[in-house]
Amino acid sequence: MQKRFASILALLTLLLYSQAAFAQTYGTPGYSPGAWKPEELVKRPANPSKPFSPHDLSGVWSTPTKPGYFERHSLNDKWLDIKDKAVPDQMKSQTYPPPMTPWAKAKFDATRPSYGPRSVPPGLGNDDVSTCEPMGYPRDLWEANLRPFEIIQTPDRILQHMQYHDIWRTVWTDGRPLPKNPDPAWYGYSIGRWDGDTFVVESTGYDDRTWLDHFGSPHSDQMVLVERFKRLDMDHLQLDITLTDPKAYTAPWVGEPIIFDRVKVAIFEEICAPSEENHFNDQIRDPAAGTAKP
Amino acid sequence: MKARLASSLPLILGLLVLTLPLLAHHGTGVAYEVDKQITIKGAVTEWIWANPHCGLLFDGTDDKGNVVHWGAEMANPHALSQAGLNKDTFKPGDKVTVVGHPARSGAPRLELQTVTLADGRVLPEKGYKGNGVKLTDEPGQ
Repeated sequence: MQKRFASILALLTLLLYSQAAFAQTYGTPGYSPGAWKPEELVKRPANPSKPFSPHDLSGVWSTPTKPGYFERHSLNDKWLDIKDKAVPDQMKSQTYPPPMTPWAKAKFDATRPSYGPRSVPPGLGNDDVSTCEPMGYPRDLWEANLRPFEIIQTPDRILQHMQYHDIWRTVWTDGRPLPKNPDPAWYGYSIGRWDGDTFVVESTGYDDRTWLDHFGSPHSDQMVLVERFKRLDMDHLQLDITLTDPKAYTAPWVGEPIIFDRVKVAIFEEICAPSEENHFNDQIRDPAAGTAKP
Repeated sequence: MKARLASSLPLILGLLVLTLPLLAHHGTGVAYEVDKQITIKGAVTEWIWANPHCGLLFDGTDDKGNVVHWGAEMANPHALSQAGLNKDTFKPGDKVTVVGHPARSGAPRLELQTVTLADGRVLPEKGYKGNGVKLTDEPGQ
């Protein structure tokens, strides 16, 4: 009995270790490869007691990389935890997507992602990100554990600088309305306003070629995102997202809150150059999948 | 038999949970046999240091002495630069011993776990997995 208890304890320890390794991912110590070394960075640990302005969202934000934290990969991680019984209860999603419309279901069925229960090797998949196509929004947000984003405020707009592909998302705060019948944009059109201490962003005009997440969840060009950003303290930013897309989903999709940590990092150039990625695909990814000769 | 199965259940469940991160991450779980490990010795032919994936190409020899062109999938430069690698780590001709998970397709491709250089140095440095994942619980900030 004691022996069994010990083996269960060992397994639990391993589990925690495994989740830590998983969640740790690539870290964000904040230097560009070959540029600033870690020892050259000033240490600035989180300090929740520091004074802050709730109307100042500026900073570099990343999702926590802590042991036991389950990385966010979508508005929730339904695709992982519904199908995968191995996901512990406390890591299961609390919210779920509404049913897809037939239009969206057909779109979803045509996707061949490399994550989640329908995973295929990237060389056999059709995730356009594998050939450096734009990731789009909100999918880019789920990269924040690997690739932080920076918020910069100006008098008439808030800029969200995404590390991957060096994308600048503009959220206009000058009172303009959302455009009517806009041309599709990979990162949509966004306007923002303050509701008390919460910055509310409404956006639309998204190009429907992007996936919402790396599980292949679809959206249409009718998608409207409402994001509510709230600075909880100096070092933490909460984001709640609701996605409304009647062409794709039968009801609004309410995401789970995401807490971003303010991190001591510099956003650095991380451009996926098609020539480089194609070379990687030709030499490694496609041969690994058996779709090209080594 | 029943009792034996019951006592193995925690182990089976534990292993399932342990492998979840690998399956869930980067699509590598479906491309590579993450429960197998192979060791290949060879000489570097190309070092791909590029976003968002790095790769090491090297020539090994099979049992019959034929040259086999191998390729190893690795993480992005940012992750690897935290684990002791940089754009100058490998040059064509460098002797390497590569340990990794073999491709499910049977092609001579693998997901790199460690690489030992001619001078005995093992990369990625201790504390990191081959894919750049840090193994400590220190926040990477």
